[in-house]
Amino acid sequence: MPHRLEITLRPDLLDAEGEGVRRKARDYFGLTLDRVRTVHVVTMDVDLNTEQLEALRCEVFTNPVTQISSYAPLDLPFDWCVWVGCRPGVRDNPGATAAEAMEDLLGVGLGPGEGVFTSRRYCIGGRDLTEADMRQIAAELLANDIIQQWRVFSARDWHGETGIGYILPKVMLNHTPTVTTIATESDAALQAVSDQRNLALNPADIPTIRSYFLDDRVRTERAAVGLCDPTDIELEYISQARSDHCNHNTFGGLFRYRETGVGDTEIIDSLFKTCIEAPTLALQKEKDWVVSVLWDNAGVGRFDADHHYVVTGETHNSPSNMEAYGGAITGIVGVYRDPLGTGRGSKLLMGSYGFCVGPRDYDGPLRPRLHPRRLLDGVIEGVRDGGNKSGIPTPFGQVLFHHGYLGKCLVFVTALGLMPAISAGEPTEQKKTSPGELVIMCGGRVGKDGIHGVTASSETYSENTPAGHVQIGDPYTQKKMHDFLLEARDRGLIRFVTDNGGGGLSSSVGESARFSGGCVVELDKIPLKYDGLDQWEIWISESQERMTVAVAPGDLDAFMALSARHAVESTVIGRYTDSGKLHITWKGTTCAYVDMDLLARGFPQWDFDAEWITPELRGLTEPVLGRPADLGGVLADMLARPNICSKEWIVRQYDHEVQGTSVIKPLVGKDRDVPSDGAVIRPVLKSCRGLAFSQALLPQYSAIDAFHMTACTIDEALRRLLAVGARLDEIGGVDNFCWPSIQYDPAANPDGKFKAAQLVRACKALRETCLAYGVPLLSGKDSMYVDGHLAGPYGETRKVSGPETLMFSATGIVEDVHRCTTSDVKAPGDGIYVIGTTADELGGSEYYEMFGYVGVHVPRVVPDAFIPLYRAVETAVVRGLVASVHGVYRGGLGIHLALCAMGGGLGMDVDLTRMVSAGALRDDTALFSESAGRFVVTVAPDRRKVFERLFGGLACARVGEVTDNGRLKVTGAAGRRIVDAGVSDLKACWQAPFGDLI
Amino acid sequence: MTSQATQAEPIRALVLCGYGLNCDHETAHALELAGARADRVHINSLIDGSVSLDDYRIMVFVGGFSWGDDHGAGVIQAVRMKGRMGDSLLDFVAAGKLVMGICNGFQVLVNLGLLPGFDGDYRRRTVALTYNDCGNFRDQWVHLRAETASPCVFTQGLTHLELPVRHGEGKFYASPEIIDRLGADGQIALKYAGADGSPAGGRFPNNPNGSVADIAGICDPTGRVFGLMPHPESFNHWTTHPDWTRICDRARREGRSVGDGPTPGTQMFINAVNYF
Repeated sequence: MPHRLEITLRPDLLDAEGEGVRRKARDYFGLTLDRVRTVHVVTMDVDLNTEQLEALRCEVFTNPVTQISSYAPLDLPFDWCVWVGCRPGVRDNPGATAAEAMEDLLGVGLGPGEGVFTSRRYCIGGRDLTEADMRQIAAELLANDIIQQWRVFSARDWHGETGIGYILPKVMLNHTPTVTTIATESDAALQAVSDQRNLALNPADIPTIRSYFLDDRVRTERAAVGLCDPTDIELEYISQARSDHCNHNTFGGLFRYRETGVGDTEIIDSLFKTCIEAPTLALQKEKDWVVSVLWDNAGVGRFDADHHYVVTGETHNSPSNMEAYGGAITGIVGVYRDPLGTGRGSKLLMGSYGFCVGPRDYDGPLRPRLHPRRLLDGVIEGVRDGGNKSGIPTPFGQVLFHHGYLGKCLVFVTALGLMPAISAGEPTEQKKTSPGELVIMCGGRVGKDGIHGVTASSETYSENTPAGHVQIGDPYTQKKMHDFLLEARDRGLIRFVTDNGGGGLSSSVGESARFSGGCVVELDKIPLKYDGLDQWEIWISESQERMTVAVAPGDLDAFMALSARHAVESTVIGRYTDSGKLHITWKGTTCAYVDMDLLARGFPQWDFDAEWITPELRGLTEPVLGRPADLGGVLADMLARPNICSKEWIVRQYDHEVQGTSVIKPLVGKDRDVPSDGAVIRPVLKSCRGLAFSQALLPQYSAIDAFHMTACTIDEALRRLLAVGARLDEIGGVDNFCWPSIQYDPAANPDGKFKAAQLVRACKALRETCLAYGVPLLSGKDSMYVDGHLAGPYGETRKVSGPETLMFSATGIVEDVHRCTTSDVKAPGDGIYVIGTTADELGGSEYYEMFGYVGVHVPRVVPDAFIPLYRAVETAVVRGLVASVHGVYRGGLGIHLALCAMGGGLGMDVDLTRMVSAGALRDDTALFSESAGRFVVTVAPDRRKVFERLFGGLACARVGEVTDNGRLKVTGAAGRRIVDAGVSDLKACWQAPFGDLI
Repeated sequence: MTSQATQAEPIRALVLCGYGLNCDHETAHALELAGARADRVHINSLIDGSVSLDDYRIMVFVGGFSWGDDHGAGVIQAVRMKGRMGDSLLDFVAAGKLVMGICNGFQVLVNLGLLPGFDGDYRRRTVALTYNDCGNFRDQWVHLRAETASPCVFTQGLTHLELPVRHGEGKFYASPEIIDRLGADGQIALKYAGADGSPAGGRFPNNPNGSVADIAGICDPTGRVFGLMPHPESFNHWTTHPDWTRICDRARREGRSVGDGPTPGTQMFINAVNYF
């Protein structure tokens, strides 16, 4: 007999959660709710007596000061009651900790088939609310039917004794695990199986797969272990490993690149090899601080003599697009396992986020699965809980709105870690597995969740995309594992560690076994969340919070004892061998037996036609736009545009200071509300050496040319680092490409060749720019298929493709954090300098976008011209010559002068005609051009001489002075005053759009 | 930095870790800056007896998300320690030693009943830390006023300081009678304030969570048990202050130097170490 405990706040206490629901119902649906009270429900399907239940109620689930509770339904007044609970198999974190608490208090663990489940019911009061209103609130605000179920009760049909009844979202599979053999008599047959099982096998791979299993040697060897045709486990393993997500077939593909009108075709054999690997290896030779790149879960750079830092970036787009909260929390918690699984393990230092979504106020005809506003709420909360509950600061992040992300949103998550250069006497960045070592799975258990995640993310989102791979990350379980593994590392107990991400054990064991040359895995040893999973499901499940570790037999007892101390579940699931075979058994019977090098042999390379059409041939021109008379008005309105305006409400939800390392925070300035150029932390608390981090996103430029989009994005990330005080010589990069599908299809993807050409050009720019600036790519990932087929008003679907997007992350070393600088101007009388050359480069700019134009003069990056300036900025910062430093980014000088003034709460007098420019510029061009390579700095009078000597002969001009009159005054051509605005008024405009959000 | 730092026998401090706690490293660092010898000790090492509280004179319940904070912040940690550690916590307090609870640790102390500890009763739950009125987790620096009349060991000598808050459940709540008594006994060691040190008066964001009477931290009647929502361990270096680049710039122009001497955050730990 299950027991259902209902808990709520005392009536006299404000119900902040209920208030949030009330506010959103008003803002999102225009519904007036008079009051909303939240009831937390804990349903215990456990055999407990009255005293035990009462002990749980009083000691654990009810705060005697603030809450009331009862095992009978609480008698709260309402007009409507909406209940929301998990669907079976969805991770219920509070349910899991409730079971832990029960065991702690009563010493009663969960028996077979027993469970503890949490849910909520919202008691809603309001006049003339209809059932339809409630269904909308339930479906579009409180619950997501992919992971949750909900019910609506009216006051009339509510029974005081029955309440919500007993809803137990148990997984009951009643299924006997079975290994299925797949017939391979023909390519067509195998293709049919692939379609029917959603294996997403590439048709081109099928002949290779068949010929392997038809090979005489292979058949003889398989016969010896009792196998003939391939088993479902083997095919699932191949499907996972060959998916674009795991194997990066696109970047490894063969591109035939040609420019329309230009005859000859350029063949590029693997963008990864030519544009990422080659330049990085070349730079690694020059730069001894590059410790480990291109093979592990994350890249490793030297922080100081005794420590290395680790960095990587990921995206979690497809899951977030379907279940924003679950997708995002799984994404951030997942990327945090990469540094933990790099070398023999790294401590997590910080994370960052990048959210690309459709317009928050979208009211067009298309119906994305989740409205951008709701989607953004969800990803914000997912990264918040994932980061905060992991105890990892989130000191940097960006949000970008663009219509193209209606089809599929982008959720970028980045993770940095720190490892000792040497642990237990060996270089920490090195690891390998050896025959005889044990394969151990640590952390969470295996369930049906996440199955076919990687194959689904390698597809365009459609109605048929399986929702099964949407999960809820569990930072609590992972934090325990993180602490445990680092202690095990320091005691020398870890030979190899990697995370279970895409592909689950199939990837982690498969990859780690390459070092030893084989493995035997006993699938029946793997701890499950519930019975009834097929063997292939256990093998590829992406259930979260798991790491795979190689441990020497002699260390097993110590490893297991430490695991128990940290309350982490660890299980020996097999051992590494040198048999050359991936060997999987179930209760002693072989169910998979394939050559370790199977994936390395003879699979056909993907190939693409890439056809570049220049902007001119595409008919792009500069717009015919007369000079606005009211440039002050333009500036005020640009400050209020979604991609420019303040997003403080997001930043403050993220703990950006835990670990006590914070030096440059995400918000700076007098009122601590202006975004910083970059983040700086002090990862080693005893040291004053700093680690700087920044990111940039400029997908708008792709509308003209993804080559310049890429170059400008990299340049911006670098300037962000220099602005806070990083050294140019030790900057590392991380490239995260998110691209629409580039495989040409006359019907499904008619512009595929052009999108492929954009990717080729972006990669060429990546190579050129990184080599020119000397920035090795420490890590990187790609996520293709940023397309969606959205339902329209007439039952039609429309394909919406995301703009070609590169998130570029950069890391840099700060030798002494006391030299770090911020963008806020510091004192009246300081000189204002614009460093760099401003040109007529409004193509793709925020200014043109505001008027609905694209233009064609996209900003160009000229490293040879920029580097001397960057060196000088570096010197000026190190020598303490500058009071403030800020890069000029999206929106141009107008926007960024305003931000510097807002940060300092001071005025600025600026004469734009004094700055270095390429030819005479019209006032609006001077104000809003987004030319790369520029900074705004302010210099105290007593530093002026030295500063100007340092910049002698460089593109740098004194353009004005910081004032105490609180006004931003800008003079343009012919001495005309083009802007004269109160800085506090400008700030009000900039804060208005999202100012009331907390 | 302090006389303790040079002593042969440093004060030993225990910093709890495990089960989702996460401020253990910087708390241990701050204690060492204060001259203590700090050990990060897993909750289970105390429970299974492999580490004994008797070896320590200062115990810090650190911030974090113990058990994910899923059923009331700090509740399950309190249940586990109450149930598995017998009276050793009470003995620790009775022995005249110091206990500090920061953020999640403060939440644990009030759920254990170690705070407010009226009439020497260290088991009763009479105050609570509940959901912020603003409805969300919030990271911001706050101005704090230290109650000079308070017996609190940790805030001695401090009047007005700034520290970061980072929590979703920091609203201090208790019945009016309890609040009055806390005030009368000088147990309200820290209050949220405005930039000029004036009372926050419940106004957001100076009072970031809606705490009754602007309460940010309380101590027991002896002043040896102290809990606070803000994070002193986080302010362990001058460059952690949100305005430090502005402060340094002003100082340079005025020919002053800054950044030597302990931060107000570290000072709380120095006070603890110097107590012995």
